Amino acid sequence: MINTVDTLPAFPWLSLMVFLPLSGALLCLLHTRSERDCRWLGLTVAVATFGIAIWLFLSQQPNASGWFCVEDIEWIGRFSIRYNLAMDGIALVMVLLTTFLQIVSMLLAWPVRRHVGLFFALLLILESGLLGIFLAQDLILFYLFWEVALIPMFFLIGIWGHNRRHEAALKFFLYTLAGSLFMLLAIIGLYVIHGDQTGHYSFLISDLARTELTLRQEYLLFGGFLAAFAIKSPLVPFHTWLPDALSEAPAVGSLDLTGLLIKTGVYGLIRIAFPLFPNATSECLPIFGTFALVALFHAGWCAYHQDDIKRLLAYSSISHLGLVVLGLAAWTFTAWQGSLLLMVSHGITTGALLAMVAMIRQRIATRNLQKLSGLWAQAPCLSALFLLFALASLGLPGLANFSGEILVLIGTFQTRPIWAIMGIAGVVFAAAYMLRLIQRVLWGEPTQAEVADLSPREWLILIPLAILTVWLGIYPATFLKPLETPVLLALGGLP
Amino acid sequence: MNETLLFLIPLLPLVCALLNMVFGMRLPRLFTETLAVTGVAGSCALTLLFWDYATEGGTKAVLFNWLDSGTFQIAFALNFDRLAAPMTLMVTGVATFIHLYAVGYMHKDADYGRFFGLLNLFVFAMLTIILADNLLVLFLGWEGVGLCSYALIGFWYQKDQNTRAGTKAFLVTRSGDVFLGIALLWLFALTGTLTISEINALAQTISPGVVIALTLLLLVGACGKSAQLPLMTWLADAMAGPTPVSALIHAATMVTAGVYLLCRLFPLISLSAVGMTAITAVGALTALYAATCALAQQEIKRVLAYSTMSQIGYMFMAIGAGTVTGAMFHLLTHAFFKAALFMAAGAVIHLAGDENDLFKMGGIGRRGPQELFWVFLASAACLAGIPLTGGFFSKDGILLAVFSHPDPLYEFFWLIGMLTALLTSFYTFRLVYLIFAGRSRGRNQPHAVSRLMRWPIWPLTILGLAAGLINLPAFFGGQEWLHHWYGKLAGQTLTPDHHTEWLLMIITSSLVLIGWAVAHFYYRNVEKPRLNWLAIFLLQGWRTDRLIEQLLIRPFEAMARFCALGCDRVLLDGTLDGSAGLAKSWGVLARRLVTGRLSTYLSAFAWGFLIFIGWFLLRLLK
Repeated sequence: MINTVDTLPAFPWLSLMVFLPLSGALLCLLHTRSERDCRWLGLTVAVATFGIAIWLFLSQQPNASGWFCVEDIEWIGRFSIRYNLAMDGIALVMVLLTTFLQIVSMLLAWPVRRHVGLFFALLLILESGLLGIFLAQDLILFYLFWEVALIPMFFLIGIWGHNRRHEAALKFFLYTLAGSLFMLLAIIGLYVIHGDQTGHYSFLISDLARTELTLRQEYLLFGGFLAAFAIKSPLVPFHTWLPDALSEAPAVGSLDLTGLLIKTGVYGLIRIAFPLFPNATSECLPIFGTFALVALFHAGWCAYHQDDIKRLLAYSSISHLGLVVLGLAAWTFTAWQGSLLLMVSHGITTGALLAMVAMIRQRIATRNLQKLSGLWAQAPCLSALFLLFALASLGLPGLANFSGEILVLIGTFQTRPIWAIMGIAGVVFAAAYMLRLIQRVLWGEPTQAEVADLSPREWLILIPLAILTVWLGIYPATFLKPLETPVLLALGGLP
Repeated sequence: MNETLLFLIPLLPLVCALLNMVFGMRLPRLFTETLAVTGVAGSCALTLLFWDYATEGGTKAVLFNWLDSGTFQIAFALNFDRLAAPMTLMVTGVATFIHLYAVGYMHKDADYGRFFGLLNLFVFAMLTIILADNLLVLFLGWEGVGLCSYALIGFWYQKDQNTRAGTKAFLVTRSGDVFLGIALLWLFALTGTLTISEINALAQTISPGVVIALTLLLLVGACGKSAQLPLMTWLADAMAGPTPVSALIHAATMVTAGVYLLCRLFPLISLSAVGMTAITAVGALTALYAATCALAQQEIKRVLAYSTMSQIGYMFMAIGAGTVTGAMFHLLTHAFFKAALFMAAGAVIHLAGDENDLFKMGGIGRRGPQELFWVFLASAACLAGIPLTGGFFSKDGILLAVFSHPDPLYEFFWLIGMLTALLTSFYTFRLVYLIFAGRSRGRNQPHAVSRLMRWPIWPLTILGLAAGLINLPAFFGGQEWLHHWYGKLAGQTLTPDHHTEWLLMIITSSLVLIGWAVAHFYYRNVEKPRLNWLAIFLLQGWRTDRLIEQLLIRPFEAMARFCALGCDRVLLDGTLDGSAGLAKSWGVLARRLVTGRLSTYLSAFAWGFLIFIGWFLLRLLK
């Protein structure tokens, strides 16, 4: 059945959530005279957006096919492009993560001194773009948000970054843009094929999923989407932009980049690439698994060799994303739930670590592991929290990442025991590079004269992150529950 | 009474740990110390209070669901049964005395909040292992123990050597955990559950080949935590931590975890004869290896570390020989006397003026309280296996079980066990003589040993001496209480004739006495260590550290270098930069055309026009 009737709920909560940050951004841009106002505006908008997300989480009940709220109206009638936002459990979890981390970002961006209004505006635009990516059900709308999220990051790196920021920003931009162009081609191709076949042109994912494609067509179009998603995720061997971008980006930029932006790649795989091309997907799963394992080990080794903490964390992210993709490739319920949970946990723990790196850098003016030493002696509270997040990141049971990892491994073992066994060996890698990081940063004789411990603003950033880290480790059911129906539906899509 | 209250046993130390970690430094010192001791002592008292829950098949309690995904359902659940109860009592009891001792030992250290917090957390993690109802909760404790050992071995973090030892302990045990992890995944795939009792019940349905593989995986996992070959290298370096930590690691928490895991899953592993032989072989070889290493060590705590490794080897042999009682009996007696030995060693080090080196000690007894000599000697006698001490009965039980095993290969293991008993007695008395005999060789000023560092040793020493009573063999008039207590969980029952029993006992006793005599002969009066190549080889633990460095660490680092520099920097970024460069050079070429001179453009225009006209004419002609 083809849906052309506009549906609108009583109140467009999703639109409000997506466009609230954007309007906040406009206000910030118009009102650049007072830096203080911009900061508070940014924070208020971020908190309000988070409030909406929480409200939706608590109040809405999904319908039989797992959707919470649907907003579907015609947008550009000539090309039958529709403005279609909808949220299911997977999107909900990502939205919660995004809106939460954006509050953290705002707080973390407090000390920014140059072009404050622009900075906060860009952050808010980024938030709108990300929320749009997670909610859009029309491919053109999706593509639009996809690019909207790209541009603020480019400027964040290019303007507020460190010494080699221009190179890094350009590399990031060109790399991801190249990927998205392939995706645009694939979108249009699929649109044309679907329209020719049915006589009804549509960009809706649910419509396009019913297109009958030859395997050859599937591979070609799948490849187009994959180019965008694999670069964004980033999968080995398309990952080298991340360490550069991350190490050159300002603190907030790197937090958003690893915590959120790279998640859109995996999200795209789950939401678009897999359901649209089930045959190509099922053929490609072993390749995905292999590449994921390569990523897990390769990035683990690379991380062990880094001296810059941010590069180390970039590689550790690539390694963790390898485990996420491994779980997806295993194609079991438990593994998928684990992968999605691991994405959230990774966003929280690595985000927290990156925030702490910024705090350390403000105090000691270096991120080099060879120069850091003995932080515990001078700033025990900061160090203790750093230890907590690092331990969570290396997969200590009872803390965030472990819940996701064990589900991935248990689920993967059901279909691909060898992958799971190799995956669990990757856990030692995480221990090796994380312990090296802890060793260099926390232990030893302090090298610098005086280091202040956490300020109230920093406490405010870290305490919620710490609570979430423990919560995800001990009671992940809060986040697993909404994932159940959509994951079942997504898996059922495979013949 | 509600069985959920059983959770108080592990949670009490956890709560105290968290309180001490968060608020410890803001509270008066006395409060922190009291809180730490109360946490552990309270959980010991609770164990006694809830003792009845362990009888009749045990009691299970569920707190809430931890992970819940499809068929994978894991709850925070504990099982207080006949195997867990004595172990819980021992751990909390011994840990209480160690905590008291630690209050005396650390009285000058400024970082008491972190220390006592971690110490309590350590106990919590170990209790989690003991009480876990499913393997994932056990794994939680298992990793928690690893973390606490890491943080406590490197407690004095300013010295690089300490934190490196901690990191080593974490990494080595974690390598073992990978194998445990694989076993866990496999068991879930096979049985659809991780609940230990259900796995044990379903063990019969698993095919024999898989059982062998599973047993070997579990064995490697157990080896990591219990410091058995080949994952033993971390234990000797773990001496970098404060002495109460060593006592805790060696007696109550950590190293016994591997033994306990194998006992927990005994119904599963006992199904595979190959696996059982492997367990015995690992135990026997480690027992011998560690005993030889202990012969040449020059630091007091390192001797004790190797002795622990060796004694845990005995426990593994017991499991391999099919007697859970034997393993647990030795585990309990060993915990008592080893804790006492470490605490006494801490006092000795204090008296020697923070001197670890045995060859700079001598005549320590004359520097401080005379009682120290007696407690040390008594505990050492237990370790050496002097007849009628606790260590004697438990070790003898193991050797008897190995000897009476039907498999002829076990005779060989028995011989190794006997040889180790001889070596054990020798190095133990070497230790005693080097510390207490002759005149003082050191020059450091002794520190006073406070009362809190003296009296907690006494109860443990007495327990060590008298621990034989809990499983006194029948021909000594005993009831074998522990064996009957374990009931179905106890493994094999031994009924050798008294003739064999007496014979074996006489042989072991005479070996022990020979060891003593030789030590007396050589070490009663020694000034300097005799260092030949063999002594150095043993001193360095058979150079295993270097072997591991060359076989594992160097290749790992080389691979890291290759991935980071070779692959990413050169290959991938090189290709990218190359293609960018290519595009750029095309751009440079194209730019040459844009000269800005009108003549160039005009001539280009003319040429283009000519070519176009020519092509058009050609078309026309056709």
